[in-house]
Amino acid sequence: MKEYAITVKDLHISYRTLKGFSIKKSLLKLKMSKAEIFEAVKGVSFQVEKGKILGIIGKNGSGKSTLLRSIAGIFSADSGTIDLHGNSVSLLSIGVGFQNKLSGYENIFLSGMLLGFSEQQIKEKINDIIDFSELGNFIYKPVSTYSSGMYSKLAFSITAILETDIMLIDEVFSVGDVKFKQKSYNKMKELISDENRTVLIVSHSLGTLKELCNEVLWLHDGKIKQIGDPEEVITAYEEFMKKD
Amino acid sequence: MKKFFQDIKKYYKYIIYSTKSNLKTEVANSYLNWLWWILDPLCFMLVYTFIVEIVFKTSEQYFPVFVLVGLTVWNFFNANTISSVKLVANNKSIVTKVYIPKYVLTLVKMFTNLFKMMISWGLILIMMLLFKVPYTFYMLQFLPVLIVLFILSFGISTILMHFGVFVEDLNNVMNILLKLVFYMSGIFYAISTRVPDPFNRILLNLNPIALIIDSFRKAFLTGSLINYRMLCIWLIVGIVLSIIGIKTVQKYENSYAKVTK
Repeated sequence: MKEYAITVKDLHISYRTLKGFSIKKSLLKLKMSKAEIFEAVKGVSFQVEKGKILGIIGKNGSGKSTLLRSIAGIFSADSGTIDLHGNSVSLLSIGVGFQNKLSGYENIFLSGMLLGFSEQQIKEKINDIIDFSELGNFIYKPVSTYSSGMYSKLAFSITAILETDIMLIDEVFSVGDVKFKQKSYNKMKELISDENRTVLIVSHSLGTLKELCNEVLWLHDGKIKQIGDPEEVITAYEEFMKKD
Repeated sequence: MKKFFQDIKKYYKYIIYSTKSNLKTEVANSYLNWLWWILDPLCFMLVYTFIVEIVFKTSEQYFPVFVLVGLTVWNFFNANTISSVKLVANNKSIVTKVYIPKYVLTLVKMFTNLFKMMISWGLILIMMLLFKVPYTFYMLQFLPVLIVLFILSFGISTILMHFGVFVEDLNNVMNILLKLVFYMSGIFYAISTRVPDPFNRILLNLNPIALIIDSFRKAFLTGSLINYRMLCIWLIVGIVLSIIGIKTVQKYENSYAKVTK
């Protein structure tokens, strides 16, 4: 019996009815403008086993990010279901809820709590985060004084140290200087290869995906074109992209 | 509704922390920092005192304190309503990246404003000493009125937050409406004595802000009993609005990130 961490069934997501509406405009036109329909994800179903790494590829605008966001619970599905089997989930994103006038230290709490961790959990991990970010005493200075590299170092450290059961990664990050880049890549690999962690990666770097993933899903115009062994799918994908 | 209380339980630490950091950010941003929280109501108190006592040559008893009570309540209500319209748009960076129950954002904003209002109330207590307004036991009525004000504001704010996402120019409509309510709430005049008979009762009963300001004044200035029956009715209205707001937000909050701007 396989244990699944994510089950997605016939997922549809569209951006239709939700165009902004203005009282002025509708008074002038005296009739409702027709809603534009854009379906980003059209009937996607797949399952991911616990502890496995799934790569998602596809050209721009094929619905990869929309899919990730809906799994993270930010978007609602128009139809279909997403079952996470009770696992905690986080979309790895940089600097959520940062307040630039506050110190890095305070922002760790702010961002961490927003990601759904308790004050206690953050306190336990805070030294690891500060160590990993290499910021030293700058951690007590306002974030607005940071260089952009320092900013992303801190942001990356928060999401990398505060771990969840399922991690969703939109584009593999490259942050900071060469040394930190290597370090963050290694940390990423370490996080990803943890046996109990299920990971979904969206990326255009096919080499990385080949190296890391157990399975690759190819999205094309909101539908699954192919899913399966990384080598096979990526080769097919590469050929397809050349033809275009 | 059960989800609402679970969310509050889960996020109350974040609400407190975020409120604190909002206040800190505001202080860090300005030159005179926290002094503004005192200077702002104080200056407007002087402006209105000048206009009403010197230009229009009318007055109420203890006028500076009288107008300060009105302004304090108004500033709280006004700040909540205005900010809630654009709340989701202003927190775009959060809304598009993590799931957070959206009324948590409302509550953070409201607690920030509540804290500022409390400073204003402190100022009122000091002004009462200066103008020799006697402290009485009637002042304890402060708490129930405050609760009604908070719940009512919360209900209105959540509903406005929801529509603010979809209606682009709600902001303009709200600006006009709020101006209207401002002049109808008796902030710098006493409705019960200045407005002719049938209208003053209508105004006090139908405009909750007018009623709340009048109640606070009864508690602090005249030292008399509040109209608890009307206050109860508005409390119920506030609770109903809050429930409608919470339900609407829960139903639609996951679409907020999708609205194209």
